[in-house]
Amino acid sequence: MPILVRLAWRNIWRNRRRTWLTLAAIAFGAGLLVFNIGLQMGSYAMTIDNTVRIFYGHLQVQRAGYLDAPKMRTAVARVRELADRIGRVPGVAAAAPRAYGFALASSATRSYGIQVVGVAPRREPGVSNIPGLVRRGRYLSGDHAMEAVVGRRLARNLHLDVGGELTLLGTGRDGSVAAVAVPVAGIFETGSAEVDRGFVEIPLGTFQEVFSMDGAGHAVVVRGRGVAELGNLERRVRAALPPGEDLVVLTWDRLLPGMKELIDLDFASSWFFYAALVVVITFSIMNTFLMSVLERTREFGLLLALGMRPRRIGAMVLLEALVLTLLGLCLGECLGVAVNAWFYVHGFSIPGMEELAAHFNMPSAIRPRFTPFTLGSGPAAVFAAAMLSALYPALRARRLRPLEALKAA
Amino acid sequence: MHTHQPARRRRAIPILLALALLAAPRGGAAASAPGRPDPRALVKAAIDYWRGTSSDSVVEMTIHRPDWERTLVLRVLTLGSDRTLVRVLAPKKDAGTGTLLVKGTMWSFSPKVNRVIRIPASMMHQSWMGSDFSNNDVARSDEIVDRYRHRLLGVERDGGREVYVVESVPLESAPVVWGREVVRIRDDEVLLGHDFYDQDGRLVKRMRTLEVRVMGGRPTAARQRMEKVEAPGEWTEVRVRRVAYGARIPEAAFTLSALRNPRRF
Repeated sequence: MPILVRLAWRNIWRNRRRTWLTLAAIAFGAGLLVFNIGLQMGSYAMTIDNTVRIFYGHLQVQRAGYLDAPKMRTAVARVRELADRIGRVPGVAAAAPRAYGFALASSATRSYGIQVVGVAPRREPGVSNIPGLVRRGRYLSGDHAMEAVVGRRLARNLHLDVGGELTLLGTGRDGSVAAVAVPVAGIFETGSAEVDRGFVEIPLGTFQEVFSMDGAGHAVVVRGRGVAELGNLERRVRAALPPGEDLVVLTWDRLLPGMKELIDLDFASSWFFYAALVVVITFSIMNTFLMSVLERTREFGLLLALGMRPRRIGAMVLLEALVLTLLGLCLGECLGVAVNAWFYVHGFSIPGMEELAAHFNMPSAIRPRFTPFTLGSGPAAVFAAAMLSALYPALRARRLRPLEALKAA
Repeated sequence: MHTHQPARRRRAIPILLALALLAAPRGGAAASAPGRPDPRALVKAAIDYWRGTSSDSVVEMTIHRPDWERTLVLRVLTLGSDRTLVRVLAPKKDAGTGTLLVKGTMWSFSPKVNRVIRIPASMMHQSWMGSDFSNNDVARSDEIVDRYRHRLLGVERDGGREVYVVESVPLESAPVVWGREVVRIRDDEVLLGHDFYDQDGRLVKRMRTLEVRVMGGRPTAARQRMEKVEAPGEWTEVRVRRVAYGARIPEAAFTLSALRNPRRF
């Protein structure tokens, strides 16, 4: 070990109590960052997974341009076959074909503009929570069944109950009038007002007949194993698309831009907290180093008098800071990971959350995430700040003149 | 019939206006006035014009898209200023489908489900029968002189005739999406064009009369095209096949039961 490192190591432990306190500050700060960021990312991942599981899927395959201008004619040909094909892609937990249309839904007395979704009743449960959220009646029974499930708010608005007749009136893919009257098989409640008020699901086969779709649909909805693996999933699905059909893969952040913004906003606001934390830790570290440099002025003066270069002294101080910080970060990382691991196994949940989650067919506990970002970003920030704060004492040490230093109290 | 409030409407209704506006007896006051006519009077004249008249026509509506086109044959009955019934005659798939408008309220009937459905206000901006006309374009016979401020922008010449260019801006309180509309009315009341601008003053869509012919004894806008500025290559064209003005149509033809039962008209 180079002499300088040995010196630094020994110097650090000359004042044990202070060193431990500083280590504790660094470790606590870094650990808190690791824990918090991991938990935060975990909660985002859970929010995303839960939200996309209601209806949108982790990603969807659509015809290019459909998302921005949803026209009936911008359809995916042979959507069932495409769903089968995508369903075989490794990493895909479920893939289901869908067709979307706009229609006027009416009961005997009222009418509302709504989104009609044609779904494959057997595939849909793999990508959407709606089949499991039917509160009254049941979900769709067969691909060509003449029946519909509607959201609870819409049912209430239309004064419809299970067994009541729902009339849909829209425009088919060929421009013809698409009209059908179907009994309500079930009423679902997702908790999302938008979905509960504006959605009607009918079997895909029925949809294709009514809207003259000729085997086409508008999307293949894909659920993967989780948001964490989205990047790989997206690449694989893209690679599996049949060539020359002008299809695009859209991930949840494109499908639900509002949610992406919400998360970004939330994340931005937590930056202030993290920054404040790092600043506090930084001052504590800086204090330690400055104190130690000031205390050792005479000692440095002696070293200088014996012929040690000022640069070496500065380097030694920096080295002390580096060793101390790294030590603290190691402890902090262990601490953060340990806490997160505990919550990963047991789940982090807020009182009341479990009941709510069970009601909406969702997992109840947040599981912290472990990624290079959640593990590394906090400690990296602390490290950078600590090194920066050690610069001042180090520079001070470099500027010492032997005689004056020796005379110092 | 003449007990209606005077001076109610004027908002051009592309398909129907074409049919109804022209139905008028020749010689609206504004049209024959020398110099620069008062735009409000002009508009009012155009309205008074087709109030109290009726028409029975068959028109073809072609919806054109870059990759696709389709034509519907429609029978259009109008009575006074606020009753209109449109029935699809062809293609077979849509035959019998009807739209009834009474005083700005719209109902739709589909024989497939044998049901009359009232179109809610929230859907008035949706496309009518998949065309470039919105339900509003078809329905709003009710938006009027009183709810708009009119200004004569200029007088143009068109084949020896005068064409009045009138700008109509909805009053603050008017429940309209448009910021501004510009209408071109020929001195014999034939509507030559109707531009719709949004609140930011951008042209959103425009209707042009491509052909004026004497039909049913009057100059009629025989071919009109509606285009959205943002979607070039997409348009809807309405061609009048035949039209009879002043036909005797009973008010009973404009009822929900008549809508449901096509034999009644």
